[in-house]
Amino acid sequence: MMAVTGHRERSKGETGYSWLFFAGGLAWFMRMVVILLGTGTGVAFYLWYAQQSNDVAPDSLAGYAYAITGTIFLLLAAFLYALRRRSYSKRAVGQLNKSLNWHICFGVLGLVFLFLHSFGNFNPRSGTYALCGLVALTLSGIVGRFLDRLVPRLIAGEVHKALTIQGDDRIEIISQKLQAIVVHNSQKLRGFTPVPGARSNPGRDQSGRDQSRPYGLMPLPGPISNDFSSGDKDQSLHTPWDLAYISLEATPQELSHEAGQYRFIPDKKSELTHPGALMPGAQEHMSDLQEVERAMQREQFYRYIIRYWRKFHLMLALLTLALMLWHLIYAAQLLLPTVLHW
Amino acid sequence: MLKTGLKPGTNSVVMLHKTMPQVAQELHACIGCNECLLACPVVTDAVTIDVLNCETLAGPISTQVARFARACYQCGACVAPCPVGLHRDAMMMWLKVRMLRSGRGE
Repeated sequence: MMAVTGHRERSKGETGYSWLFFAGGLAWFMRMVVILLGTGTGVAFYLWYAQQSNDVAPDSLAGYAYAITGTIFLLLAAFLYALRRRSYSKRAVGQLNKSLNWHICFGVLGLVFLFLHSFGNFNPRSGTYALCGLVALTLSGIVGRFLDRLVPRLIAGEVHKALTIQGDDRIEIISQKLQAIVVHNSQKLRGFTPVPGARSNPGRDQSGRDQSRPYGLMPLPGPISNDFSSGDKDQSLHTPWDLAYISLEATPQELSHEAGQYRFIPDKKSELTHPGALMPGAQEHMSDLQEVERAMQREQFYRYIIRYWRKFHLMLALLTLALMLWHLIYAAQLLLPTVLHW
Repeated sequence: MLKTGLKPGTNSVVMLHKTMPQVAQELHACIGCNECLLACPVVTDAVTIDVLNCETLAGPISTQVARFARACYQCGACVAPCPVGLHRDAMMMWLKVRMLRSGRGE
């Protein structure tokens, strides 16, 4: 029994797309171990050095050690991944994923070591600005990783709304249904179309109204009335062509031009008086159409989030690099005279 | 596929999802050169292009492919290196939708 159940599970395969899925493997585990080991080493050295020495400042020996180590980590984080992405030789599947994992690992370690380099000295100088930029950069990376998990799941939900079960475009299906409704109703309405030039026709009163048809029944404005253009053309042929015949009534052309001003007043006993009788199901399809359009707009928005968050991270990296260069120049201006004088 | 955004031919264009027939057409056009997987920052070495193509359209989804599909964040890095101009990100999105629907019992 167990074997049968297991076989069914295997044949069914993996199912579901949970919000809280975990995609970490050995590489993720290794990354976490290295981050913890590096942070632990840095903090342990910090505590030991604070007990052993009174010179706990960013420009102390330990401060420089932290600064150099943190800068190396940051350079590794920045350039290893960037170079790996751009190199197209001797690559294997999964290498870029490993590089990304090391990029995250070195980025976090760089932040930790440069934070320790400050020794709690957060005066509003170039170093503090560079550290703030680095914190913002690391936070943007962490938030970006969360967005990379959440936003594609949101996109999948919107795409699910925009596609049918078979995977076809729902907008196209709904449009076809709407078109069928419009064609059906236009055929139904054709029987109620008044015939212009009714004076010469029997069964009409003085105003030209067809007595055999409901009072004031005129074509509807909009897409349905467009279907009558060919009908009007045919009907105009039935109008007597007489130059001596003068009438103050509107011509068929004027009537069709001003169709929006006319009201459709069916007979009270007609089934067309019921709400939605002319377009059964159309309203539901229209709301479905709007829902799919909204889903696609949201999909577009989510895709922009993914794209622009990456650019935001890159911009922050450039800003942090500029702030770090500023800080290095500032530090060199303080250090070089001392070193040269010594 | 629906194009939205600014100028076509530039990176500012955001490509929306594809329908299943379009995905099937692209899968049949795939030459299996592996360039999309080489450019992917998410995929691990456990996934091969043949298995991925087989499981994208229909049938049961293996654990490795499911993990890859969930981890894919639609960055589009796989699109540019494709020598035949296919959209692996749209294929992965169809796989995501399949998994989403299977989880809901559809």
